[in-house]
Amino acid sequence: MNFDISDEQKVVSDLARQIFEGHASVERVKYIEREGDGFDRDLWSELAKANLLGLCIPEDDGGSGFGLVELGLILEEQGRRVAPVPVWATLALGALPIAEFGTAAQRAQWLPGVCAGDVVLSAALNERGADDALRPLTTATRTANGWHLKGFKPTVPAAQFAQRVLVTARQDDGRIGVFLLDPTQAGVVVEPVRATNHQPHAHLVIDTVVSAEDRLGGPEGDGEEQIHFILERALVGLCALQLGVCGAAIEQTAAYTSGRLQFSKPLSTFQAVGHQAADAFILTEPMRVTMLQAAWRLMHGLPSRQEVLIAKYWASEGGQKVVHLCQHLHGGMGSDIDYPIHRYFLWGVQIESTLGAGSAQLARIGELIAREGR
Amino acid sequence: MDIGDSVEEAAFRAEARAWLEQHAPHRDPTKRHKQSSTDTEQDVHAQACRDWQRVLYDGGWAGLTWPKRFGGRGGTPWQAAIFGEEQSKFDVATGAFAVAHGMVAPTLMMHGTDEQRGYLDAMLRGDEVWCQLFSEPEAGSDLANIGTRAVLDGGEWIINGQKVWTSGAQHSEFAILLARTDPDAPKHAGITYFILDMNSPGIEVRPLRQITGVAHFNEVFLTDVRIPVANVVGEVNAGWKIAHTTLSNERALIGGGNTAWSIQELIEMARHYGRTNDPVVRQGIAKAHSRAAVLQYMGYRLRTSISRGEMPGVVASTMKLFYARHWAQTTGLALTIQGANGALWGDSALDDGLWQQTFLGQYAVRLGGGTDEIQGNVIGERALGLPREPAADRDLPWRETRGSTR
Repeated sequence: MNFDISDEQKVVSDLARQIFEGHASVERVKYIEREGDGFDRDLWSELAKANLLGLCIPEDDGGSGFGLVELGLILEEQGRRVAPVPVWATLALGALPIAEFGTAAQRAQWLPGVCAGDVVLSAALNERGADDALRPLTTATRTANGWHLKGFKPTVPAAQFAQRVLVTARQDDGRIGVFLLDPTQAGVVVEPVRATNHQPHAHLVIDTVVSAEDRLGGPEGDGEEQIHFILERALVGLCALQLGVCGAAIEQTAAYTSGRLQFSKPLSTFQAVGHQAADAFILTEPMRVTMLQAAWRLMHGLPSRQEVLIAKYWASEGGQKVVHLCQHLHGGMGSDIDYPIHRYFLWGVQIESTLGAGSAQLARIGELIAREGR
Repeated sequence: MDIGDSVEEAAFRAEARAWLEQHAPHRDPTKRHKQSSTDTEQDVHAQACRDWQRVLYDGGWAGLTWPKRFGGRGGTPWQAAIFGEEQSKFDVATGAFAVAHGMVAPTLMMHGTDEQRGYLDAMLRGDEVWCQLFSEPEAGSDLANIGTRAVLDGGEWIINGQKVWTSGAQHSEFAILLARTDPDAPKHAGITYFILDMNSPGIEVRPLRQITGVAHFNEVFLTDVRIPVANVVGEVNAGWKIAHTTLSNERALIGGGNTAWSIQELIEMARHYGRTNDPVVRQGIAKAHSRAAVLQYMGYRLRTSISRGEMPGVVASTMKLFYARHWAQTTGLALTIQGANGALWGDSALDDGLWQQTFLGQYAVRLGGGTDEIQGNVIGERALGLPREPAADRDLPWRETRGSTR
């Protein structure tokens, strides 16, 4: 047993930190927010050049064959810079499921492009009025040349940039299927929406036909298993982002309150202030250990449902408290959008509620432990 | 990272399990043990700890992580964790040796003379229990303000003063003691760390009957108690730094400890009282379960850092604070689940009042080994790099500080 990251993982983490620190400065993030479309393509191509986009994709598909722990370390570094790139959507929601379940043709079509930085992917897990991704309301009806998909998928991350979106649907035979949808094809309306953290999302209005070859894993693919797989990676990915968001927010808060003098001494030397910062730290450490535990278990194919839910509970519940504390301890600067700390607050609350806030995770944990008696 | 048992670890677990099966009775999971409340019960418990420690020693399982040259097994922190997990399934206890093994031993290994390290064997064998004479009425969170005096008289130090909140003093053969040896130095620079034979003349132990019904803590009065000069640990007036080793290990010991309950017991309790459909209860249990998972994983990290030879500083403070809050929140939840019955006490209550006792016992966990607030300061300064809070008395001679006036 060893609960520390390995030397090799440290190299990944350091490399990711170097790229994000070098290419996602506060000024750069501000510039993309103001002038761009919310997607920093220069940073994206730097990540591809450093081979970070292909890191967790199998070697047979053009990647380096690392796993979810390494992806977590990359996302943590992204969270530390609140960098505007669709790493989570492309890798956790798109590439990992295609690598796991995709047919040879699906893998060959999409994964080398992901490694090269040419392809953006995503998945549509939300449904209006339903909070359970396992019971999609979108329908898939068999037609002569494929599947007729019909439904509404709200708040799909990076949908406006994606070449393919994994769309979950209930088939007319009662089974669940996951379909690789081209959001630019006729019969799909992409409505960009504004999100709390200013990151690109879009609603998808779908009434179109996809070919039979675009069903993930082919005709035998088990949609239910696939959704479980996507959700678990999606949740752990969010936890890793949140860990980075909170870790960096605390460091900035410690520096800010130690540099600002009131009553002729640093603010942080007042225990009322220092203890709030310490509380933020105490809330972040559980996020780190639960995320690593869940990622490690998933990566080794061990049962991980509880561990994933526990990690997301801490990322949601602990994460929102941390960003509130950091926002508060910055005083008026927290509300000044010229000052960077507010982005951490916005990312923190966005991640908190994405795919279920703390109370939703607790309800699921409660059901599991009551049933399993673990 | 590698969180599962390796092949070697699995083999070790099997070996430990097999030995325990031969030497220890199984714990009855339906039978609950509350803390001993009468003096007789406490004596019986202390003796049971001594007896079991001797069995461990004879079987070669005592001092799992201690180096072989100190009589230990020379094992890894992971082996200690595995043995602890397996041992917890059996009806045996070693609690009386927590101070000796968890706090005194690491300190003597690091700072003691060869002669002082001679004490290690007896505590490992289960013959000698130790207690910690640190806190005083005027030196709680501000431990460096201790006023117990030690004055050199030929080959001996003469000690006068009062200690308080001493766990297990009534059962101890030896103590570690902090006393002021130079009142003219600043408060951190005039303290010396001693080993004290608790059978020395001039020591009076008075139990403190606590809100839980137990007399776990004591007051200890020291009147002209003599300590040979060979019992000074480290240098005279340099005891504060050595105390840090002890305190850091104390936090790791408390924070890494097991709770007296399992989540399964809370679920059973909720079923018993028909509260399983109460969303507040369900959420409370799920939260407690999530906190228990965090403590388990933090324990892994603590052991990883110890196995690299690091002092358990920030991790220990983080765990200690988290553990204290977990204790408070979870025992509060247990009483909520019991509803009106939660207000009963002792034999009238569920499990002979175990939950009421543990609920009230939260203050020992939250205050002992450095209060929640002290841990907050440690985390602020060492984890976040916040500047230290200005202290007016830090550089003054202790004699001139307000704290020294009695």
